Amino acid sequence: MTSTHTNSHTEAAKMEQVITEFFYKSLLIILESRSSYVSSRNYSGEQIVSSPSSSSSSSSSVRPRDKWFNLALRECPSALENLDLCRQSNFEPVVVDVILEQKPLDWGPASFSPTSDIVRNLSSKNKNSYFWNSDQDESGSEMKCEKIIERWFVHHESRKGRDFNSGNRRSSCNNLSALYKKLILMLRSLYVTVRLLPAYNIFRDLNSSGLIRSFKLVPRVSSFVEPLTRKEEVDMQRFWFTPVDTSCGRLCLSVLYYSSISDMSSESSTPMSPQFIPDYVGSPLADPLRRFPSLPVSHGSPSSLPFSRRHSWSYDHYKASPPLVSFSPSPTHSESNALVSNPSSRGLPPMSLPPHPPEAPLAHKRDTNFDEYCPSPSFSASPSPSPSPSVPIYIPRTHLSKALLRSESAPVNIAAPKLANSPALSGRQNLPPSPPLKITRAGTSRTDNIRVPAETDATIEKIFSFGKEDCWKYSGVKAFSNSSPRISCSRSSSRSLQDDFDYSEFPCPFDVEDGEMMDPGSRPESYVRRGNPSDPNEAGLFMNRKSPDAAVGALVRMLEKAPPLRQNVSLNFSEASRPEILSNSVPKQSQISEAVTVEHAAAPNIASFRLVASKTTTDALEELRGYKVMKNLLLSEGGKAYTSSNVASAAEHSSTSKDRSIL
Amino acid sequence: MNCEVCQLKELEVEHFEIREVLRCILHTIVFHRALGLVRPKDVDLELFEITYVQCGDVELEKKIDEKIDHFISWVEKHPNKKSQICLSFYEVKSKQPSWFTNKTERLYWEQWYINLNVTQHPKHHSSKSHHTKLVVDPGESATEERSSRRAMVEASLREVLFQIIKFVNEKKDHVPPISEGVIYFPYEITIPSSSDSAFGMDMIKRMLHSGHPTMLS
Repeated sequence: MTSTHTNSHTEAAKMEQVITEFFYKSLLIILESRSSYVSSRNYSGEQIVSSPSSSSSSSSSVRPRDKWFNLALRECPSALENLDLCRQSNFEPVVVDVILEQKPLDWGPASFSPTSDIVRNLSSKNKNSYFWNSDQDESGSEMKCEKIIERWFVHHESRKGRDFNSGNRRSSCNNLSALYKKLILMLRSLYVTVRLLPAYNIFRDLNSSGLIRSFKLVPRVSSFVEPLTRKEEVDMQRFWFTPVDTSCGRLCLSVLYYSSISDMSSESSTPMSPQFIPDYVGSPLADPLRRFPSLPVSHGSPSSLPFSRRHSWSYDHYKASPPLVSFSPSPTHSESNALVSNPSSRGLPPMSLPPHPPEAPLAHKRDTNFDEYCPSPSFSASPSPSPSPSVPIYIPRTHLSKALLRSESAPVNIAAPKLANSPALSGRQNLPPSPPLKITRAGTSRTDNIRVPAETDATIEKIFSFGKEDCWKYSGVKAFSNSSPRISCSRSSSRSLQDDFDYSEFPCPFDVEDGEMMDPGSRPESYVRRGNPSDPNEAGLFMNRKSPDAAVGALVRMLEKAPPLRQNVSLNFSEASRPEILSNSVPKQSQISEAVTVEHAAAPNIASFRLVASKTTTDALEELRGYKVMKNLLLSEGGKAYTSSNVASAAEHSSTSKDRSIL
Repeated sequence: MNCEVCQLKELEVEHFEIREVLRCILHTIVFHRALGLVRPKDVDLELFEITYVQCGDVELEKKIDEKIDHFISWVEKHPNKKSQICLSFYEVKSKQPSWFTNKTERLYWEQWYINLNVTQHPKHHSSKSHHTKLVVDPGESATEERSSRRAMVEASLREVLFQIIKFVNEKKDHVPPISEGVIYFPYEITIPSSSDSAFGMDMIKRMLHSGHPTMLS
């Protein structure tokens, strides 16, 4: 009796041990084929000839646990962690969920470290559940997408009322042997089955390839799990392993799996290969301001433009413009967006930086269209106060004045109004007053021989201030010789600024009208149209379209057509002609006042220039004579005051210019 | 002991696929019948996205390869014919010697019939002259057809493997007990012989050795 009871107890214990080891072995088979880097796949072991019961085992590499069910597998830490679960006396069911996790692209190699990185977390729901993660996701578990692609069930159905101690010892032993054999067969089948299911392909790809994937397999072992949704159960297929009867019940093994999960894992998450981006915008730090030809020309200054990045290939017609637009706060993002090119977006207009720091994170779903990360090419010019609202676009006042100062010649001054008339300067109301005085002031040291009375507008002086060294700067002479309607400036730095202007639509203030050329008396009157000193458009360059003005204009054209003057000859010529003429035109206050029209900058009137066809030499000489007369008249005037406040300052300049008069 | 017979689903394979298909099937069956201590070895097929398991025995692998080579030779001699490979597991029992029987007899307790229909694709003719005569169709349709056919073969092979698994799970009682020191049960691979009539003779010979299947216990 006692021996029977002992034997039964022994048999029961053995049975329990067999069942427990079966739980562990089945768990090991499942986990080692679903956990990355923990697989017997790479475990190339030697042939073990001996059986588990053989004491003369020649192989020393066989661990005791390997002998169970004659299946030597590689140690799986995850399975070891769950050994306690398997050794529960009540043989609670073990559920293994194989989860396909999709994570952001910011996964790094660290997440796939082969080192031991398996963490056991106790679920708040079930203390007996163990969640296995191959990586401690600290970046943001909220971003990962999980999907159960397999669910394994290992459980022992207890059969109540079954007498453990029934049968003799031999039958029990036979039962145990038979049970063990059947369990071996079942585990063999399990080992083959786990490799035939679709999830194994994912596991194999994860282990074999060195690519960084956006997904991974995470087996989760637990005792109790939430049931799958009905849709999931419908979509999944179930495979049953034939249960094996035990003395106290039967061992059951089954699996729910998706027959096709290739669409989840087929997408490669390999880092994007380098691509050639034909329309790369570039960093705004490199070239912050490049004007787009397609950009709408706002009335505001360049500073009114938003934080936008222009195309790098556009010509900047206003290279002299300062960087009035601040850089984009996130140039890197702009670059990254530029790199993220989409073939579909190549037909779109070039990108521009968003006006604000990008809000969309760089990490995105793997199936996100790249277009979402291509900022809209729309370009919004948010108005913002410019440093000099009245300055023409792209040309601040200081720059304009400096540009004109360099020229110090009539053509320069003539061209100044054209700045206002240029297409860029569409916002005439924003144009500041003509800065002729500034020009004049700056050029005081190089003033010509024009003696401008205090009341005279200094602009006039500057217009005709031909110093000895300044005559060479009249590149406009040549321009006029070509009958070009363009009134060019001197070859100074302002030339590039003024060359961009279209002079064709501006009539030459010195246009000679027929019949008016030989009226020297009227020339000083129409000598120059003076605008508001603060009006750069004026700059004293506008001429009344009167006979004297026309004469002067004709004279100027003649001079421009003339061959380059040598210093001795040209000076004489210039000294004799131009300054003489100018000086003649200056003295007389009345003449000047008649010739000069001061226009305030409130509403600048830009007179149009019209070039007159070249005249013969004879006509030119006649005009020259008349110009001399005019000059004399102007010189004789002297001392008359001008209505404009700028005249006073111009007089200061004129005083110095008188000293340097060519006369 | 009854002799369980399992007729596997017929597979339509091409000549170049015979080796891999047979390796996969034969090793899978043997692995289920290698009840000794084994260290499984995973093998990935090159032609299909299937991983099968070997029991890791070098000798076993060599023998299987030899049988496959013989079968391929037979197929080359008998093209476009349905063929059958029989994998039998038996027990060796000694018996009293007699005039007509040997001392030992084989008791087949399980037989697996692998049915193959080897087709020869026109493009895979080994003859060089065929390459010049064949109209090459490098279009996408040929590639798609090839890939679809390959997928069908893979699916069929997977079905066969699951059939093996199910058979192994459903029928366990006829499997003999595990002997010590034995990794796998004795087996025998039978391929069609050179003559058609010889195949039937092989069956008769097997019956003589093993006796009537129903008589086996």
